[in-house]
Amino acid sequence: MSVASVRQEPRTGNFWRVFFVGGLISYRALFYWISPWQYIPTLLAAPLFQILFFVYLGRSVGVGSTNFFVVGNSIQVCSMSGIYGMTMALSNERFFQTLSPILATPANRISIFLGRGLPVVVTGIQTTAFGFLVSAFLLGFRPAPSELPALALTVLITAASCTGFGMALGSIGLRVRDVWVTANIAYFAMLLLCGVEVPLRRLPGALQALAHFLPLTHGIAAARLLASGHNVAAAWPDIGGECVVGVAWATAGFLLFRYFEGQGRRSGAFDRL
Amino acid sequence: MTALPRPLSEPLFRAGPAPLGWPRMVLSGWWYQLKMQAQSGFTVLVALIQPLIFASIAMADQQAGNRTLPLLYYALGAGIMGIWSTVVFGCGGALNWQRHQGMLEPLVIAPAPFVLVLLGITLGTASVGLYAMAATLLWGWLVFGAHLHFANLPAFALAVVATVVALGLLGLVLGSSFVLYRNSNALSNALEYPVWLVCGLLVPLSLLPGWTHPLAYVLAPTWGVEALRAAAIGGNPWLPLLWCGVASIAYLGLGVVLVRNVERLSRIHATLTFQ
Repeated sequence: MSVASVRQEPRTGNFWRVFFVGGLISYRALFYWISPWQYIPTLLAAPLFQILFFVYLGRSVGVGSTNFFVVGNSIQVCSMSGIYGMTMALSNERFFQTLSPILATPANRISIFLGRGLPVVVTGIQTTAFGFLVSAFLLGFRPAPSELPALALTVLITAASCTGFGMALGSIGLRVRDVWVTANIAYFAMLLLCGVEVPLRRLPGALQALAHFLPLTHGIAAARLLASGHNVAAAWPDIGGECVVGVAWATAGFLLFRYFEGQGRRSGAFDRL
Repeated sequence: MTALPRPLSEPLFRAGPAPLGWPRMVLSGWWYQLKMQAQSGFTVLVALIQPLIFASIAMADQQAGNRTLPLLYYALGAGIMGIWSTVVFGCGGALNWQRHQGMLEPLVIAPAPFVLVLLGITLGTASVGLYAMAATLLWGWLVFGAHLHFANLPAFALAVVATVVALGLLGLVLGSSFVLYRNSNALSNALEYPVWLVCGLLVPLSLLPGWTHPLAYVLAPTWGVEALRAAAIGGNPWLPLLWCGVASIAYLGLGVVLVRNVERLSRIHATLTFQ
């Protein structure tokens, strides 16, 4: 019996079932922070204290406004879910030795890959929304009500863009030994490089150029424009830039995923640790 | 019949090492932990890369801002931040890590006092944080042009040792408290920023609300960073050093009580290997 006779033609219904149901199941199985005991300290308390820490640092050195740090950090914390969540969703399959069975199925690879991103995007949006909410209560953050829908759209796109970046890191985790160190370095480096804590113009030219290829940079710039009362037309270039960056990273992640899948098939070592 | 490996007059098990053996045991544990941590990628991240990123943020903001505390102020603060990170992650999960490795039972039933075993681990973990201190000072000097002049070098060296010991002992308290909490890594995640903030590691305490000050005073990083800054930039390092010592003694006492409690409860309930 040939492989081709076993493989069924993909159907649209199957694609969406794997995308939604498969994505949700993998999130429940592999997203380590889903329990309230993990979720509250990691995705609510830590971001809250991060926002407070940098707001007070800004006040102590006399740089930026409270809103500069509130917007930068509230948007940045969505990358926690995007980067770590996607790393868990992809590379934990290898860690738990479940990668081979998944890659033995005829399921559409795009639906497997992208389906894992959807719950992570939702979690990222929740974290950012919580950051804005507590900043409104504790730090007097008040964006213009008319710009809230555009701000919400920016948060959605930035969370998706960070998830795209996380997909690339997670795919690397299918091969490298300790992807967590890479993910952590990426996460903390983005604090410095993406204009979260330091105005971009203060960075050396090479780092400024690098920042434009990273998620968050354009999203944060757009959110700062909207929060400071500019209309959505002024923020569109940055919103578009964030979209492009996110799609590019997700594509790179998918190509890496397929490359490592092919390599694993050839060498018979999907789960090699 | 083969000869017994030791005379029967000698006890098979001793109740514990002689008091003179205790420092040797802590030292061995400290050295072993130091070597083990040096092999870990996560340690490199927490003790080297992360402090450099935070030092860069603080110093870049200082240069962009309009208030001028010296760069050394931020380099030292970022160094202590690195030590705290190694302590909160390394010591907070120390007991759980031993449990995960299957080592907790052998360590508890060994004749040596368990608290001394744990003390070696926590002091070793805190010492790894010295990488952070060295790295942020060098980084500040090389990249941001921080002026590395130490007003009182012997006091500075003493302050470094006192801070590491105090944080190691605080790690003993954390390690023996977090063992009751299944998700200790999540608690560690949540405790990094608040302590950085409340202890005034990068933000002067005077800018924080008054109700946070009592919290700062019971945490050793507050006194450690104050002693280091006074010794390096200028001021009286001896009073904060004294408080660092007082805090260390208090942590040691509390740590001993907590570790004994963990031992006692785990023996009563037979739950040493369970989380």
